[in-house]
Amino acid sequence: MQSILRIRPVGLALALAVTSAPAAADPLRYAEDQAPGIVNPLFTSTMSEARLGELVFEGLYTDDLDLRTAPDLAESAELSVDRTELVIRLRKDVSWHDGEPFTADDVVFTIQAMKDQGTASTEAGRVAWIDSAEVVDSHTVRLRFGRPEASPEDKLFFKILPKHRFDGTAVKRTDPFRNKPVGTGPFALDRYNDDGSITLRRYEQHRDAAGLPEIVMREVSDKNYQAKLLLYESLEALVRVLPRDLAMLDKDRGVELYPYQTNSWWYLGFNLNGGPWADPRVRQAIGHMVDKEALLAPIGTGDTVTGPFVPSSPFYNHEVKARAVSAGQASALLEEAGYKKVEGVWTRAGKPLTLRISAHKSLESAQEVVINLQSQLQRQGLTVEVDFMDEASWRGKVWRDRDFDVVLSQWSFDRNEDVREQFHSQGSRNFTGYASAETDKLLDEARDAIDPQQKKAALRKLHAQVHDDAPMVFLWTLDSYSAMRTRVDDVVVHPFYFFTWADDWTLD
Amino acid sequence: MSGLLRAVLLRAAAFLATVVGAAVIVQLLLWAAPGDPIDLLPNGDELRPVLEVEWGLDLPVPLRIARWLGHAARGDLGTSLSVRPGASVLELLGGSVGSSALLLLGAMVAGMGGGLALAALTARGRGLARAVVQVLSVPPVFLMAYLAVVGINATVWALVQAGHIAPPSWFALPAEPSAVRTALAVCVLAFGSGALGEIHVACEQELQRLRQAPFVTAARARGAPVAGLLFRNLAPSLLSLAAARLPLLLGGLVVLERVLLLDGAGSLLWQACTQRDAPLAMGIAVCAASLVAAGGLLADLLRLWIDPRLRRPA
Repeated sequence: MQSILRIRPVGLALALAVTSAPAAADPLRYAEDQAPGIVNPLFTSTMSEARLGELVFEGLYTDDLDLRTAPDLAESAELSVDRTELVIRLRKDVSWHDGEPFTADDVVFTIQAMKDQGTASTEAGRVAWIDSAEVVDSHTVRLRFGRPEASPEDKLFFKILPKHRFDGTAVKRTDPFRNKPVGTGPFALDRYNDDGSITLRRYEQHRDAAGLPEIVMREVSDKNYQAKLLLYESLEALVRVLPRDLAMLDKDRGVELYPYQTNSWWYLGFNLNGGPWADPRVRQAIGHMVDKEALLAPIGTGDTVTGPFVPSSPFYNHEVKARAVSAGQASALLEEAGYKKVEGVWTRAGKPLTLRISAHKSLESAQEVVINLQSQLQRQGLTVEVDFMDEASWRGKVWRDRDFDVVLSQWSFDRNEDVREQFHSQGSRNFTGYASAETDKLLDEARDAIDPQQKKAALRKLHAQVHDDAPMVFLWTLDSYSAMRTRVDDVVVHPFYFFTWADDWTLD
Repeated sequence: MSGLLRAVLLRAAAFLATVVGAAVIVQLLLWAAPGDPIDLLPNGDELRPVLEVEWGLDLPVPLRIARWLGHAARGDLGTSLSVRPGASVLELLGGSVGSSALLLLGAMVAGMGGGLALAALTARGRGLARAVVQVLSVPPVFLMAYLAVVGINATVWALVQAGHIAPPSWFALPAEPSAVRTALAVCVLAFGSGALGEIHVACEQELQRLRQAPFVTAARARGAPVAGLLFRNLAPSLLSLAAARLPLLLGGLVVLERVLLLDGAGSLLWQACTQRDAPLAMGIAVCAASLVAAGGLLADLLRLWIDPRLRRPA
C-alpha cells in the first residue's frame, strides 16, 4: 500500500504525458463567456457575436489605430454642401469569402435589410438616420439623410452583407446564413467543432492578409477558469482580465497585459417612474451617502466620474465637482424631502425608506460592490435589499416592467459616446424614466451640431445638468486589461471590439 | 395475457404522462420567470410586435403548450429562439444527447459496479473503506468537479514547470476535450450525485442480510458457490435503486456539464432556461423525462427476467 502512495513525480509524469501539446504554428485561442448564438450582423445581440463579426465582416468605415474614422470597404466619399447626401466610392479589390466580388449592390442591400421591418434587425437603429440608399454604379453608392449630418462617416461602421446570399431584404433570424456566414473580413468561419468551439481561418485573398493562420473561439462560461487557462497555455488571448486575476497574470513572464481605455462607466440608476426616487432631493441625498472610492478600491483601479462620460472624453465637464460624502448634507436633503430619522432609520409617514438594489449577475465584481454599498447605506439609516438577476430577468423586470428601485450597472459606448438614448425623455434606453426639457434641448443641440466645438459645449452642459438632476449616481470607469501569451506579437487591441486590428497580430 | 396487456398499457400511460408533464412544467416555469427571449435583444421593445407573432409568444400559455405538443407528436420539436436562433431543436438534441447519455451510463455503471464491489469489501466490516466512500459522497457535484479540476491542473502545471513532463494533450482541464475529462466527469457524477454512496450502503446492508439467510447458509453447507446466488438475489433491489437514482443523476449532469465545460444536453438545458428558450428547454425536458421513464421500464423488465418469483401472479 505504501509503495503505491510513494509514486515519484517522474513516474507520474510519464503516466500523464501521453502526448505533448503542440507549440508552434498553432491557432490563436481566445475565450468567450458565451458562444455566439448567431453569426449574422443583422442580429447581433451580444459582445461575443460582435467580436466574431469583427473578424468575419467589414464595414464601410472603421477605426484607425488613433481611433479616427478611416475608410475600410469605402475608398473615398463626398458630402454634399447641405450635408444631406453622401456619395461613397467603394474599393474594387474586395471579394467575399465565397469568391464573389463585392459591389455597391451589397451596401444598398445591407441598409435596406436593416431597415426592413420584416427583418426585425437588432441593428436597425444604426441606419435609422439614412433616408435612402441607391446604387450609382457598380462601385458607387449614394446615401440621403433626413437632416444634415456633421460627419456621417462616423456612423457607417455597421457590417456589410453579401446580397447574393439572400432572397430578399426581409431576412429571417433562421436564415442558414446564421451559421454559414460569408463576409469580406480577414478571417472566414471555417467550422463549428464538436467541443462547441469555432474555428476561423485566414482569408488568403484578403487585400491585407492577416498574420494569424487560424483563430479559435472557445466558450469558457466560468470566468474563474479563464485566467488560469491562459496561464496554463490553453489559451493565447483573454479579452478582459478580472481585476482579481491581474496580479497573478502580471507575475507570469509568459503573459503580457494590455491596458486599454474604455468608454464605460458604472452607475446607480434610480427608478424615476414614481416612489421616493422621483424626488431629486432623495437621489442627491443618496449621492452624498455613497463613498465611491471605498466601493471602487476592492474591485480594481479606475477613475470616479461625475457625469455620463469618462474623464478622458472631450465631453467630460471637469468643472463639475463630485458630491462630498457627507452624512450631514444627506440628512439635510432627506429632512427637506419630509423624512425623519426614527431609531436610526429614515422614515416618512411611518414607513422606512427602503432601497432595493438590483444588479445583473454577470456584471463583474457586482457582488462585492453591492455588499459594500448595502453596508454603507444601512449605516446611514436606509433599509437595503438586494436582487441579483440573470439577463432575461434583468431585461424583463428592469427594462420592460420598470420593477426596480435602483440598479447597479454600467454603460459602454463606442467612441461616438452618444448618450442620447440613455438621457433623452424619448430615448429607447432611458429605462430610469428621466425626463428634463433642458437635457432634451442639449441632446438635440449636440445631435444637430455641425461644428464639433458646439457639440462639445452642449455635451459638457449636459454633463452638469444630469449631475444636478441626479437620475443616477455616476460611479467610476474601471481600468481594463486584455492579456495575451507573449507568443502573440504586434498586438493592439480595440477598446470596444477587441479584434478590429487583429489582422496585424502574429504568433511565434 | 390480459394482465400483461394491462401492465403494458399502464406503463405506456405513465410514460406519456411523464413526457407531457415535463413539457408542461418547463413551459410554466419559463412563463412564470421574469423576461422572455425578446427581452434579451438589444432593441427588444421595438421588435416585440413582430417577434411575438413569429415566435408564438402572443398566444396564451395553454395554447402554446397544446400547439407545441401537437407539433411534437408529429416529430417537430420546433426551432431554438435564443440559444442557437433558428437551429432545429432536434438537430441540437442530436448533437448533444449522445455525449450526455454516455456520461450518464458511465456514472450509472460506475455507481452500480463500484457500489457493489465496495459493498462486498465493507460488508465484512472494513470501517475505514466505508468511511472514505461516505466522506467522498458528501461534496456536491459542482464543488467536487471544481476542486478536482483545480487540483489536477495545479499538480500537472507544477510538474511541467519543474521540467518533469511536457504538457499532456488533455491539459489544461476543463478546456480541452479528452478522455481524461470524460473519465473525471463520470467519476464526479457517480460520487457527487450520491449514487455510489447510496448504492454502496444499500448493497452492503442487503449483502449482510443475505449472508445470514437460511438458503445461503444451506448452500454454503452443501459446499455450493454462493457468489452467484447472492448476486441474483441482490440484483432486483440494485436495479430498483439505480432507476430511482436516475433523476438525481440527470440533475447532477446539468451542473457538471456547466462546470466541466462539456457540450451536452445538460449544458444546453441550462442555457435554454437562462435565455428563456422554451422550445429548446421543452425538447430537452421531454428527452430527459423519456430517459427516466425508459430507465424505470428497463429496470422493471430486468428484474422480471432475473427474479422468476416476480413473474408469478399474486
